[in-house]
Amino acid sequence: MTSLAATRRRLALSRFWADFRTHRAGLAGAVILLVAVLLALVAPLFISENVTSVVEGTGQKFAPPSLAEPFGTDESGRSILLMVWWGSRTSLLIGFLAALLSVVIGLVVGVAAGHFRGWLGGALMRVTDWFLVLPSLVTALVLAAILGGSTLTIVTAIAITTWPSTARLIRAQTLAVEARPYIERSKALGAGHWHITTRHVLPNVAPLLLASTTLEVASAIVTESTLAFLGASANKTSWGTMLRASYDFGAATNAAWWYILIPGLAILIVVMAFTLMGRALEAVLNPQLRRKA
Amino acid sequence: MRKWLARFVALGVAVLVAGQGTTAALAQEPAAGKKIFRVGATQSMDSMNPFLAVRLVSTSIHRWMYGFLTVPDPKTLAPSPDLAESWTTSEDGLTWTFKIRQAKWSDGQPITADDAAWTFNKMMTDEAAKTANGPAVENFETVTANGQDLVIKLKAPQASMLENPVPIMPKHAWESVTDMANYDSEKYPSVSSGPYIAVEHKKDQYVKLQANPNYWRGKPKIDELQVIFYDNPQAAIAGLKKGDIDLLGRMSPQEFEAIQNDPNIEAWNTQGRRAAYLQVNHGATTTDDKAVGDGHPALKDVKVRQAVHYAIDKQKLVDEVQNGLAKPADGSIVPPMYKDWFWEATGEEKVTYDPAKANQILDDAGYKKGSDGVRTMPDGKRKLEFRFTIHTDTPVEDKLAEYLTAFLKEVGITVTTVKLDSSKFTEETGTTGNFDIAISGWSVNPDPEEVLATHLCSRRPAPNGEGGGTESFFCDDTFEKLYQDQLKELDRPKRVELIKQMQERLYTQAPIIAIYYTNDLEGYRKDRVTSITPIPEDKGLLYGGSGYWPFYTVDVKAAAAAGASGESGSNTGLIAGIVGVVVVLGLGAFFLTRRRKSTADERE
Amino acid sequence: MTTPLESTEPAVQAAGSADDSPARRGTLRYAASKAGGALFSIAMVIVGTFFLFRMLPGDPVRNLAQGRNMTPAQLDLERRRLGLDKPLIDQFFDFVGKTLRLDLGTSYEYKRPVLDLIGERIGPTLLLAGTGLVIAVSLGIWQGTRAGWRHGTRFDRFSTGVSLVLWSVPTFWLGLLLMMVLGVGIGPIPGLFPFRGIESVDAPDGFAYVLDVASHMVLPCLTLVAVVYAQYLLVMRSSLLEEVGQDYVTVARAKGLRDDDVRRRHAVPNALLPTVTLVFMRIGFVVGGAVTVETIFTWPGLGQLFYEAVRVPDFTLMQGTFLLITVAVILMNTLADVVYHILDPRVRSA
Repeated sequence: MTSLAATRRRLALSRFWADFRTHRAGLAGAVILLVAVLLALVAPLFISENVTSVVEGTGQKFAPPSLAEPFGTDESGRSILLMVWWGSRTSLLIGFLAALLSVVIGLVVGVAAGHFRGWLGGALMRVTDWFLVLPSLVTALVLAAILGGSTLTIVTAIAITTWPSTARLIRAQTLAVEARPYIERSKALGAGHWHITTRHVLPNVAPLLLASTTLEVASAIVTESTLAFLGASANKTSWGTMLRASYDFGAATNAAWWYILIPGLAILIVVMAFTLMGRALEAVLNPQLRRKA
Repeated sequence: MRKWLARFVALGVAVLVAGQGTTAALAQEPAAGKKIFRVGATQSMDSMNPFLAVRLVSTSIHRWMYGFLTVPDPKTLAPSPDLAESWTTSEDGLTWTFKIRQAKWSDGQPITADDAAWTFNKMMTDEAAKTANGPAVENFETVTANGQDLVIKLKAPQASMLENPVPIMPKHAWESVTDMANYDSEKYPSVSSGPYIAVEHKKDQYVKLQANPNYWRGKPKIDELQVIFYDNPQAAIAGLKKGDIDLLGRMSPQEFEAIQNDPNIEAWNTQGRRAAYLQVNHGATTTDDKAVGDGHPALKDVKVRQAVHYAIDKQKLVDEVQNGLAKPADGSIVPPMYKDWFWEATGEEKVTYDPAKANQILDDAGYKKGSDGVRTMPDGKRKLEFRFTIHTDTPVEDKLAEYLTAFLKEVGITVTTVKLDSSKFTEETGTTGNFDIAISGWSVNPDPEEVLATHLCSRRPAPNGEGGGTESFFCDDTFEKLYQDQLKELDRPKRVELIKQMQERLYTQAPIIAIYYTNDLEGYRKDRVTSITPIPEDKGLLYGGSGYWPFYTVDVKAAAAAGASGESGSNTGLIAGIVGVVVVLGLGAFFLTRRRKSTADERE
Repeated sequence: MTTPLESTEPAVQAAGSADDSPARRGTLRYAASKAGGALFSIAMVIVGTFFLFRMLPGDPVRNLAQGRNMTPAQLDLERRRLGLDKPLIDQFFDFVGKTLRLDLGTSYEYKRPVLDLIGERIGPTLLLAGTGLVIAVSLGIWQGTRAGWRHGTRFDRFSTGVSLVLWSVPTFWLGLLLMMVLGVGIGPIPGLFPFRGIESVDAPDGFAYVLDVASHMVLPCLTLVAVVYAQYLLVMRSSLLEEVGQDYVTVARAKGLRDDDVRRRHAVPNALLPTVTLVFMRIGFVVGGAVTVETIFTWPGLGQLFYEAVRVPDFTLMQGTFLLITVAVILMNTLADVVYHILDPRVRSA
């Protein structure tokens, strides 16, 4: 039985891979992401937080890109290249954590709302709908202002405003899964809520969840930068805070285009990669979409 | 499909028309022949009501609109006649009589002492009217008017009486205001006594002021003064470079560097009004001398405070944080632009950057370094770990904090940065005393009494932990006595001496440590402004200075009928239109051909 | 952009399919129940707002002083004026009562009623966001239709690619770049469009004034459109893709109808549904989402007002604008649900 399940899983996995490989854009996204994450992880082996320190930044101020400084320097003479590298850690961390938190909340609420019909499900959906309509950026800004600036508060602010759409998606999927006959049989055999949700529902919603998480990381990174631009940041160097600094210190009027362009492009590339991968995953994993495409 | 194309072309035509429209609009510019001076501001007005307005941009505009009892002399900055043409003081210094000038409000009504008396009495009786300048009338016992004579009786002598910051308001226009707290004063044209009359205010967009023909000094040389608000400082700099505005003040060093080499802009770099300093929690107390807050006990020791002072490389801060556009502070809170009042330490007393000496002081006082390089208190209980409190969302303070951390690390003191939003910051550093070292600063007026008063015992919070307005929780007998003496001293040179001694006391006791005096950085269009007089005349300020001199004396080239700005504007419009149409047609053609091709494919 | 791409599913679809059967209820009853839900949501927002803003750090009255010397008496007066001296429960009922009477309090910073300030700002925001929305929707639907109808072509790949890039860009960054390139000008290229405010200071009258405002609107509008149109494009494209595979399209084609007619008469009307719903769902968000655009271009709208309030921080103003924006979004969403219900026969008779 177990070996059968394992074989089945392996088969599914290889089928998934074969499908995913056909999505060239998604594949490219995945490769870019892998590189970006790897670079962020190994950064401490080569550089340290010192690259963001103004005390250590002794180079020329607003130096244009050159051989020594391929991406130029900022208003304190710090290397943009190294700061973007170090800042990727914060940006990606906030992106992943926010998406994770959002998906966890969304998953729990979504499965519960789909599994427990009746008043509990109804109430959960009311709450979800309520959160869904809150204007996300405005709410996140207010939350960040109230909670103060730290990685955790930014993550919370983003997650609180994004989980409802995941919850909806998961609920719909849960409803679809639970309508299948074998769930009925399982119930008849005396399976409890826990068994049904963890053994039957979860494996079935997991693929979709993966795709939606990927897309949420993308939007969380963009939101982080927007919040940083509006003054709510984690007080650590991230791509968002770099852009904010380029604005504060007049990079535009000092013609320091590299200071504005590089962190923005970093955001663009990584977010693009997440989006492409997310769309490809969705296309591969969502049976409905697969039929269409 | 054809419909879509038609719509697309229509859109293009609309863009072209819009572009041409700008041309047309600028060609028939109503400003032709008028002298208009446009000032940029990166802050918008909080209120047009001078009783309520506190932002610098608002008080500046009110300064151009309303007369005061006195104004700073453009040369010496000493009080000189404005609406009050002369004044006398009684023997005991308690009764002041001001003779109000025979002049007219902009609506033709005469200006009388009654207007001034109404203004002060309103502030003394209506709490809401105290919002902007409450402390200025705190010492007033009674204010009465008799024809052109204004008599003010004081509760106690006050030498800074002539620096009254309250604009005199027209009684006949303001009498009917009952709910001062909610009165926005958006009535145009305004009834003014200063060089300009406000004629229009579009919120967060601009204020238009016109020359006041009834102004007692004579009508200003320009016809119209416009204050244009920018939310985005970068846009303001771009606006100056492009010629949308003629003058922009209060620039940051980076902004200033961006305009420094522009051939059309005069870069204005002079000593400024502002002192930046560190506030040190040397044992915060309330007015009944009860300790409040959780300040580090080591900072109660004046030796530690002095060691901190020796450990700070002010020159480096100026170079790195202010791009060299500031002056390292060897004095106290009065910046050097006020030549009379400025005090600077010399000789033995002068603290220069010397980490070795700082270490020496701490070693001698028994603060021993541990194995981790961090010092502990002589009793060995607490490490010298200080918090440095700054505001959130202030990048310059972030940099300062990094440097301070590095400086103090050299002398065995650990610094962690605490960021608070402005309301929490004010609370913790001004009332609850929950800080060790905090950033602070003050823009000093021509009479420094106000800033010195922020270090008085009485400014500490009340026993219930409320109110006050202290900048340091300082309470020092010597300082108090000097303050009381200068209040009574009506002889200016003698008073200057007392005020210098007060600054010296602040310097040696170090409840605050001045770090630098930021320069006043501004820029104006050389090609538009023909003359402007700063205040003080010798390398003084333009925007943000005290008094209306720069804006009263300014002269600009008249806007020509189809002037330079109009021409570039029309070109702009034309180019915009052409680009729009080309893009639209290009896209249209592209889609059209694409469509043909793809239909062909489809019909294979 | 913080919503996942292509999440077209409006509230009704998920809620309606399984547990309740809207078929038996009339559209009116449906609308009434949705309105009831909206009222409940608004009530929740009012309660939530009250407690959310009581969590702000710092004493709001001390912040009013802004470092100026205020006597305890003055502080007390301010506190009484703002009703902060009363117990929390009284403050709560005060707040609810006043909010229901549309009294949103007085701004700390401007010393004027919040509602007046909002009233002054709502026009410019509606103008900017409305124009942006119309352009974005038209552009999105048009391009989405073409891309979806002939998916896989170069046009499809190109427009999908462009929209994905624009979707991945932070709005403020795009705005700053546009300001630099088209507003300020780079090198020899002069700035083409104004980048500050809604009108020139010496704005002309009449038709010329309209053009003046239009030219000021170009850059903020462009930024707004660039960022949001991608979503409409992708939604339109994917829902058209769905229709293309349907039997009726095949039948229509088999009947020998012209390709254009099949698209225009059959596929597009059906595929429009999700997009239309999305439009309604997004109207409210556009109002809130204009925060960055308005800030960059000094556009005197609600977003700028809100940002200003956060920056000061002006507690009543922040609370008032937040409340208003949220309520607007809720109302628009309810409308979206009802519109969807009326338009889509499948939902009505499911």
